[in-house]
Amino acid sequence: MCNLPVRVICRANAEYMSPSGKVPFIHVGNQVVSELGPIVQFVKAKGHSLSDGLDEVQKAEMKAYMELVNNMLLTAELYLQWCDDVTVEEITHPRYGSPYPWPLNRILSYQKQWEVRRKMKAIGWAGKTLEQVLEDVDQCCHALSQRLGTQPYFFNKHPTELDALVFGHLFTILTTQLITDELSEKVKNYSNLTAFCRRIEQQYFEGHDKDSSAIAARSSKRPLLR
Amino acid sequence: MAAPMELSCWDGGWGLPSLHPESLTVMAYAKFSGAPVTVNSVNNSWRTLKGDLPVLVSEDVVISQPAKILNFLRKQKYNADYDLSAKQGADTLAYIALLEEKLLPALLHTFWIEAENYCSVTKPWFASRFVFPLSLYLPGKMSREALNRILLTKGGPPLYSLTEVEAQIYRDAKECLNLLSKRLGTSQFFFGDMPTTLDAFVFGFLAPIYKVCFPRVHLQEHLKQLPNLCRFCDDILTRYFRLTVSSHSPAGQDTADANLQKLTQLVNKESNLIEKMDDSLRKSPQHPPRKLTTLKLAAGGEESSPMSRLSP
Repeated sequence: MCNLPVRVICRANAEYMSPSGKVPFIHVGNQVVSELGPIVQFVKAKGHSLSDGLDEVQKAEMKAYMELVNNMLLTAELYLQWCDDVTVEEITHPRYGSPYPWPLNRILSYQKQWEVRRKMKAIGWAGKTLEQVLEDVDQCCHALSQRLGTQPYFFNKHPTELDALVFGHLFTILTTQLITDELSEKVKNYSNLTAFCRRIEQQYFEGHDKDSSAIAARSSKRPLLR
Repeated sequence: MAAPMELSCWDGGWGLPSLHPESLTVMAYAKFSGAPVTVNSVNNSWRTLKGDLPVLVSEDVVISQPAKILNFLRKQKYNADYDLSAKQGADTLAYIALLEEKLLPALLHTFWIEAENYCSVTKPWFASRFVFPLSLYLPGKMSREALNRILLTKGGPPLYSLTEVEAQIYRDAKECLNLLSKRLGTSQFFFGDMPTTLDAFVFGFLAPIYKVCFPRVHLQEHLKQLPNLCRFCDDILTRYFRLTVSSHSPAGQDTADANLQKLTQLVNKESNLIEKMDDSLRKSPQHPPRKLTTLKLAAGGEESSPMSRLSP
């Protein structure tokens, strides 16, 4: 969205290369910056920002909605991947452990699962059932759908960090195959959100057909999940 | 709709109906929506064993988390968000998420983890609301849970030490307060002239920071530089809770008196224990009779000398 030249590379040890232990991270010159918040700040310091045109109240709203997405969608995705037993056995363990030989794959995925369950317990999500989590996701999508309305982007004509964040999460939910389709069905209930995702995909990703990065990014999602 | 509803929540102090952010949120919402809820301040009872207050009991239904309690009240037609548009409802959810992510860690830290605050204010206050022997164990447990929560959600690398995490959460909290202040602007409540769910949540989180007198108060000082948020809290207290907005000196005086009283009680208890030990030593046959000083029940440092004399 900022029109910055970027090359996407996939690596198994990406989490370990990152300074904060989390992906994604960018490597620019001799600097490495990870996670969305710091990357946005870094890019802004270099002179590219999507939210310059917003006034103070709109910036406050944007930050609030980004927190809502992080709070609800991200936590729900983590819950579904790591706390729902069926999904864990059939999809997450094989996927997470696939780059490593036995027994390392089982050990690492159990370790990650234990970490995630501890976090869920601390924030009070451990006691939630799958239905409650799906209901929370529905509420969040409802809020996002109401905020988007009939506009092309969340803050009218120009995309902002919020659009990028929402696209990232919704696209993942819509294209990731799980045991059941309940999560993606919740998102598909809101036609303006699916239209939003399709619009961004067409505009920013399919527009660079010859660029291998887009193809590598999109095709790498599917095989990992079989 | 006429079913009586009873809300159990934590007691209050320093001019607030409750010290617990979630209890305050639910009480404020009940007032805003006009729900006929009788409030029971939980004090010195075994109900605090589970510790997940506030709890709403209506006929046979028991509901425990603030979001669920508010949902229940809305289903009973006590809805403070009736006049909001769909977009405003969405904004409410977003701002509540902002509060929980950015402000709640700092609030938990100020109450439960900052050593001076915890030892001098939070622990004695909560310990006095629990039945003995829970008062010895539960405040520590609540403090550990708060620390756990902060470290698990905010403490990932590259923030390895607690001081770095603290610096980050206070920065986030101050930014959150600034954002709330900008959003509120000069209007009375967040969505016009009538208070809504968002106002209840913001009040629940801000009022404890604003009113409770802690030794370490940098978050409170930052809040006081945002006059519209202070005015917001005071307005709700005077209009809906009919509590006079006392200035800090009488509240401070009350706290000092209460602390002195507690200290006197503690000293008296210890002195009683020492007397009993005295008696049992005198009566036991193995020890030769020796002169034991009589103990005086005075507040202050007298307790230390008898204790040192009796230690073997």
